Amino acid sequence: MKFIDVTLQLLDGFGTTCLLFALTLVFALPLGLLICFGSMTKFKPLRYLTRAFVWIIRGTPLMLQLFVVFYVPGMLFDNPIFSQFANGRFVAALVAFVINYACYFSEIYRGGIESISKGQYEACAVLGMTKGQTFFHVVLPQVVKRIVPPMSNEIITLVKDTSLARVIAVIDIVFAAETILSLKALIWPLFYAGAFYLIFNGLLTLLFGFIEKKLSYYKV
Amino acid sequence: MKRKILAIVLVLVLTVSCIAVFAACSKDQTDAEYILGKKTLVCGITLYEPMNYFNEDGDLIGFDTEFAEAVAEKLGVEAKFQVIKWSSKEIELNSKYIDCIWNGFTVNDERKQNIEFTQSYLNNSQCVVVKAANLSAYTSAAYCEGKKAAVETGSAGETAADETLKATIVPCAAQTNALTEVMSGSADFAVVDVILANSMVGKGDYAGLAVATSVALEPEEYAIGFRKGSDMAEKVNGAIKELLADGTLQTIAEKYGVAGQLIK
Repeated sequence: MKFIDVTLQLLDGFGTTCLLFALTLVFALPLGLLICFGSMTKFKPLRYLTRAFVWIIRGTPLMLQLFVVFYVPGMLFDNPIFSQFANGRFVAALVAFVINYACYFSEIYRGGIESISKGQYEACAVLGMTKGQTFFHVVLPQVVKRIVPPMSNEIITLVKDTSLARVIAVIDIVFAAETILSLKALIWPLFYAGAFYLIFNGLLTLLFGFIEKKLSYYKV
Repeated sequence: MKRKILAIVLVLVLTVSCIAVFAACSKDQTDAEYILGKKTLVCGITLYEPMNYFNEDGDLIGFDTEFAEAVAEKLGVEAKFQVIKWSSKEIELNSKYIDCIWNGFTVNDERKQNIEFTQSYLNNSQCVVVKAANLSAYTSAAYCEGKKAAVETGSAGETAADETLKATIVPCAAQTNALTEVMSGSADFAVVDVILANSMVGKGDYAGLAVATSVALEPEEYAIGFRKGSDMAEKVNGAIKELLADGTLQTIAEKYGVAGQLIK
């Protein structure tokens, strides 16, 4: 098997990896903010419910969550709900990743929001700003600046975590490399796949460095 | 107060919709009625030669591939192939994402408790794979005692290495990983399916390996696995008998070099 054939097959899997990564971010970033509001609300039942949910999701392996999302509907209710999609395995993986990462993101958001001093809220109140104005025009811009480093950490982890989706047979780049291994008895494609992650994460690191620099205005 | 009511209503709506989705299609029908009714037989496979693999043009071929297609045609359904993780095969089967495990699936008593097997169709056995340089030393099973054996966890090879050869087990996630362990020197030998070994050993990165034919291990058989209690296994048995009688199965076996192991 030639280098170019291996590259093409790995690129095929890498497309799935990138798509899973991008879609997870698109859905998990806003959902995380929603969960964050839930875990900070003054309405106690909702707050405890949300925090219990975050505890369960962060406290159990993502691999098991993938199993639960994909297999449990078929096993317990006799209804494999993901078989109605052409790429149901991918959809199931996406659902599990979005839920899992939204929970991690929610805690990062919470840390960011709680780091804003009470004085700022008081100042906004004095100026006659509404709660919405205070949050979106004063608090959130500062939160975004402060959470870039922990977010970049989590997002880089997500790139590599996508390879877990192969436990429910989503054909990502690692699955593609494993298939070449078992079909052609070639081991090097597995390490070659690692290079894809390394380059992708290298680019992300540069991007986050750039964002951090851009957001470093009003530094005190 | 308003917010409390809203929250309670939201929770209720979520619960009800979940139950509605899950309960939507549980009907009383046998497994064969379910499979024949949807007109597809989804076979759970992993890719390996000579059972299920892609040729140069990207078509899925192999002994099990053509065998499944022939059986499906006899039963009036379409054979579909779903690549799965071998370690999740039972869960795939019971959650109905696949209808059968058809991929060189070894029959044993433990599996029989949870899986409905069809009649066996191929003879297989486990074999010992060593570095070609060490081949001459492996003259008998006694030589393997106490050495490090790389095996797939839960495989027939693990039982053989543990009970027959009395070796120290090095657990691996897949049979091919076991071969890699031997290549890297972290295990002395691997115990894998002879059909897999014949198609991989001596090729590609495994060029430095060889099968130690002097170490004999117990034979075993391949069959197709359905959900426990499925009436589909009986129907497939009927189709297998017809394919044996008209020579179709013999032709497919010859095409993929496993005619010698075919159970008639």
